[in-house]
Amino acid sequence: MNGAVTVNGREHELEPGETVERLLERLDLGVRYALVERNGDPVERAAYGSVELAPGDTVVVARPVAGG
Amino acid sequence: MEGHGSLWRRLRGGHEAATAEPDLGHASEGREVQDTLTIAGREFSSRLITGTGKYETFELMRDAVVASGCEMVTVAVRRIDLDAGDEANILDFLPEDVLLLPNTAGCETAEEAVRVARLARAGGLPDWVKLEVIPDPRHLLPDPVETLRAAEILVADGFTVLPYMLPDPVLARRLAEAGCATVMPLAAPIGTGRGLKLRDSIRIMVEEAEVPVIVDAGLGAPSHAAEAMELGADAVLVNTAIARADDPVTMARAFRLAVEAGRAGHLAGVMDEQATAQPSSPVGGLVTQS
Repeated sequence: MNGAVTVNGREHELEPGETVERLLERLDLGVRYALVERNGDPVERAAYGSVELAPGDTVVVARPVAGG
Repeated sequence: MEGHGSLWRRLRGGHEAATAEPDLGHASEGREVQDTLTIAGREFSSRLITGTGKYETFELMRDAVVASGCEMVTVAVRRIDLDAGDEANILDFLPEDVLLLPNTAGCETAEEAVRVARLARAGGLPDWVKLEVIPDPRHLLPDPVETLRAAEILVADGFTVLPYMLPDPVLARRLAEAGCATVMPLAAPIGTGRGLKLRDSIRIMVEEAEVPVIVDAGLGAPSHAAEAMELGADAVLVNTAIARADDPVTMARAFRLAVEAGRAGHLAGVMDEQATAQPSSPVGGLVTQS
């Protein structure tokens, strides 16, 4: 067990040393346009590949959508 | 990440050249070409901004954006549906040289709006934001106190802030003093298409403007957009009237022409209204004169 993170309100088991980018890829969330918040703080796109998630983290993944 | 050069350019706000001095060396259309709109140091040749919501398809949205000639479009930010997979994204359908303007639609407090703006910027979207703080679901009217508070926070954080607001000249001054790049008064409530219902307040805003005035929301017909431009607005933002037209692409072109016509009319000087009729033909020398 590596523990779990909450992504958009749903729990997901973590892989060892899982980064934001790896999580996005594993959950098929589209790294290209994903906007990520970790524990309430925005994650810079340049850091997606280096920020490792920890058990208990709360992650929000958003993206641009049509709007006025 | 692979091959993200163009993606980064797009996410960061389109063509970098737009921030440079406009190239007027080959201008052939006279002053129309030189009548650019400047927001936060960036030049725009189009005074029509469009929203991307409510289109039936992304393809239709793209064609309408192109037909509108706009150089800036709004997008919203929403949580991803975990069950939807890596589906098509709106950014794949927008021309690369169009500046993305993330909005904070759906936010009811300053804190929520700041959070959305920071999330968008961190993820690679431009540091421009259409600030919307709207606690009222029935009329979608913005909260002036929270909007000003959010604007102050975002300006201090380096954002270029374009706030959506009721047309209140005093609030407009406060927002400009806070460092906002524009003010964006509503013509009528969002999505109503009722035109310049708050015309007199917008007129005062235009007269006293310290930053560009962009009339946003409630414009239902090209004639409404022309009227706003004749009044002296610097630009208009249109979404529903185009997206929900029977033929959105043709309507986008109609709004483009209306904005250009209204702007030209403003520059040319619209005549003052008269209380009584004034003949356009000579009053003397009548054939029937005895």
